[in-house]
Amino acid sequence: MVAVFPCHPQPWDMFMYNSRQALLFVLPALLLYVAFVAVPILQVAAYSLFSWDNGSIKAFSGLGNYQRLTSDGVFWTALGHNAIWAVLTLCFPLMIGLVLASILAERSPRTIRLMSALYFLPRTIPLVVAGIIWGWIYNPIFGLLNYVLDLIGLGSLGGAWLAESGSALLSLNAAGAWTFYGFCVLIYLSAIQSIDPSLYEAASLDGAGWGQRFRFITVPLLKSTTLFLGLYAAIEAMRFFDLVWVTTQGGPGYDTEVLTTHIYKTFFLVGDFGYAAALSVVLLAIVLTIGGLSYRILSQS
Amino acid sequence: MKTNKTHMRRLQATLSLMVMATASGAMAEPVPVVQWDQFSNAGITAAGPAMEELIKVCEAALPDVNIERTVVPSIGIRESYRLAVSADKTPDLGYTWPAASVLAGYARTGKVAPLNSYYDKYGWDNVNAFYRGRNSYQGKLYAVPMEQDLMGVYYNKAMFAELGLEVPKTYAEFKTVVDKIKEAGKIPIAFGNRDRWPATNTLSLILGLTAGRAEEEKVFFGEEPWTNPKFKLAAETFQQWGKDGYFPKGFNGIGYDEANALFLGGRAAMNITGTWVLQDMARGAKFDLGVFMLPPISDGVPPGTMWGEGSQWQVSAAASDAAKDAAASYINCLTSKENRKTWVEKGYLVPIGTTAEDLKAWNTMPVVKDFYAEGLKTPDTNFYDLHTTVPESVTQVLYPELQKLASGDETPDSFLAAIQASWQAAIANGERWVP
Repeated sequence: MVAVFPCHPQPWDMFMYNSRQALLFVLPALLLYVAFVAVPILQVAAYSLFSWDNGSIKAFSGLGNYQRLTSDGVFWTALGHNAIWAVLTLCFPLMIGLVLASILAERSPRTIRLMSALYFLPRTIPLVVAGIIWGWIYNPIFGLLNYVLDLIGLGSLGGAWLAESGSALLSLNAAGAWTFYGFCVLIYLSAIQSIDPSLYEAASLDGAGWGQRFRFITVPLLKSTTLFLGLYAAIEAMRFFDLVWVTTQGGPGYDTEVLTTHIYKTFFLVGDFGYAAALSVVLLAIVLTIGGLSYRILSQS
Repeated sequence: MKTNKTHMRRLQATLSLMVMATASGAMAEPVPVVQWDQFSNAGITAAGPAMEELIKVCEAALPDVNIERTVVPSIGIRESYRLAVSADKTPDLGYTWPAASVLAGYARTGKVAPLNSYYDKYGWDNVNAFYRGRNSYQGKLYAVPMEQDLMGVYYNKAMFAELGLEVPKTYAEFKTVVDKIKEAGKIPIAFGNRDRWPATNTLSLILGLTAGRAEEEKVFFGEEPWTNPKFKLAAETFQQWGKDGYFPKGFNGIGYDEANALFLGGRAAMNITGTWVLQDMARGAKFDLGVFMLPPISDGVPPGTMWGEGSQWQVSAAASDAAKDAAASYINCLTSKENRKTWVEKGYLVPIGTTAEDLKAWNTMPVVKDFYAEGLKTPDTNFYDLHTTVPESVTQVLYPELQKLASGDETPDSFLAAIQASWQAAIANGERWVP
C-alpha cells in the first residue's frame, strides 16, 4: 500500500508515518524476541515463586526459594568459581591477545592473514568438542600433557589435572583461555590497525623502542577495546557451562562447580524447578548488571 | 402387513449386522501405546535387538496393541522423562530408572498409574517382595521392574593364573590378592569416577558387606543416622582402598568407560561393577573372563551383593484406560517366561524372576550364567544400591562428597555428616521412599 500525503505533510504526520514503518520493520524480530526470550524469562521468574516436587508445582512459596540462597554453600562456592574464572580470563587471554596482536600488526599482510586464522581456529571449535580434546590432554592414564612432561624429564610434575582440588579449576581455565584468546587477538588486531600509523612513526623518530610504543601508544589507545573485551569476558565467565560439564561435571567434589552446572543439576537431576529458576534469575540479574555496566562505561569512553 | 413385518425384520437384521460390524471393526483397531525405553545396541543396557524382536512378538500375540517406540539413551532418560512429566507429556509406557524414591516422587504427584489391579490380573509372581517394595508407594504398586542388576567383581582369569592368584573367599584373602597384583605392577581394580556415579555403586557394595541389609534398612526406613559406626567403617574402608592404591592413579579424572577399557585392555586385574555392562564385558574381553562376589568385610555380616531393578516399566496416570490395559498386557508379554529367554539370549539382560537353572538351559555366555548363579545364591541378604534408593536431592550430595572422600580430601566423619544433613532435609521435604 502506498501512503498518500497532502502536498505539504505536517511534521506530526511524517513522524507517525516513520514510526509505523519502523514498527513494521521491527515487528518480526520483536515477535520472535518476545516469544523466545521475554516470555520464557517471565516464566522462569514465575516458576521461582513456587515450590516444586519432582517437576510438578506443589505450592506458592513467595520468595522462599530466594531465601534458600543464603544458606546454600554450593551456590556461594559456584559464584566464587565464576568470579575466579572472570579474573583469570581478564588476566590471561586478554593479555596474550593484546601482545600477540601488537606483534602481528607489524608483520606482512600475508602473515597477518595466516596467523589470524590460526589463532582464531580454537574459537571455531564447539566448546563440547574443546572439552573432549582437553579431557584427553589432561587424562591421567593416556593424557598428552603427562606424556610430554615424561618426555622432557618432568614426569614427577604430572598428575590428574582435572581430578585434583588444587589444579582442576586452573586446568579448566587454561582450556577456556585456549578457546578465547584468538578472539581477543582478532579484536585487538582490528583496533590496532585503525590507529593512525603516523603516531608510531613519530615515536620511532623520537627513538622509542617496541616496548615503549606498545606501552605509550597501543595500550592507551586500545582502552575502549580492552573495556569491551573485559566486560564480554566477564559475561561469558558467568554463562559458561559446556566445558565444565563435558570434563568434570563440577567435580572433583565442588571444585569446578559454577552457577550454570549448579542450575543444571538442581533442575534436571533433582527436579527442584523452583530453586533452579531462582538461581537462574540471580544469574540473569548478575549478567544484566555486568551488561548494563559495560554499556554505560563504553558509552562514556 | 406381513410384507411390512418382513421388511422391518430385514431392516433390524441389517442394522444389527451394521452395528456388529462397526463394533468388531472398533475392536480390531489396535490401541496405540507410546513407549520410551533405553535399550540401545551398545553400552549400558544394550538390549536393543531383544527389544525390537519382542515388540514384534508381542504385537503379533496382542492384536489390539500397537507400540510406538522412542529410544532415549539410558544416561539421559531420567531427565527426559522428568521434563515430559512436568509438561504433561508423559509417555503411556516408560522404561526408566530409578525406582524407589524417584518412582515414589512420580506416584506422590499422581503422574504414574497404580498397577495393583494388573498385578492381580496377571500375577507377576516373578517380582519378589524386595522388588515389589522398591516399586511401591504408600501400599500401592506403581511399576513392574524387569531388568535384574547385580554387582560383582569381574576378573581376568589369565592374569590371576599368571600371578598365581586364587579367587578370594574372605576379605583378608581379597586384600592379599590386591597386594600381590600391586606388587606385580598392575592396577588391582579398574575404577574411574569422573562421571561421579560409579563410586556410589562401589560404596553401596562395601556398605552392604560392612553393615548388612538389616542395618541399612534401619537408616533408610528408620531413625538410625548415617553417622552410625557401621556406615563409618564402610566410608573408612572405601577411602582406604583409594589411599592404598587399589584404584588407578587419578581415578576421579578417569571416566567409567575408560576404567572398563583399562580392565578389558589387560592393565587392571579386576573391575567391580554390575551386570549392566555384561554385554560390553563379554564381547570386549580378549581373555578368559571370570566373576566372583566380594566377600563380607565385617565379621558377622552374611555374604550378599548389591542388587536392584535396572529399570522398571511404569504407566502414565494420564493414559486412557484402553492404553493402560494395552500397556499392562504388553508388559505381561514382555516379562513372560518364554520371552525372558529372548532378553537373555539377545539382550544380555536377565529379567527378574529368571533362575540360575533357567540360565543354564538357555544359550548365553558362561560369564552371564556364572554372574547370576553367584548373585542369586543370596536373595535374603542382597542389599540396596544407594543412588537408586535415596532421593535425588541426596544423590546430588552423595556424588561430590564421595569424590572428596575417595580422594582423601574429606574425612569419613564429615562425609557422613554431609549426607546426614541432606538426608534430613529430604525427609523434611517428604522425599523419602519407604516401601
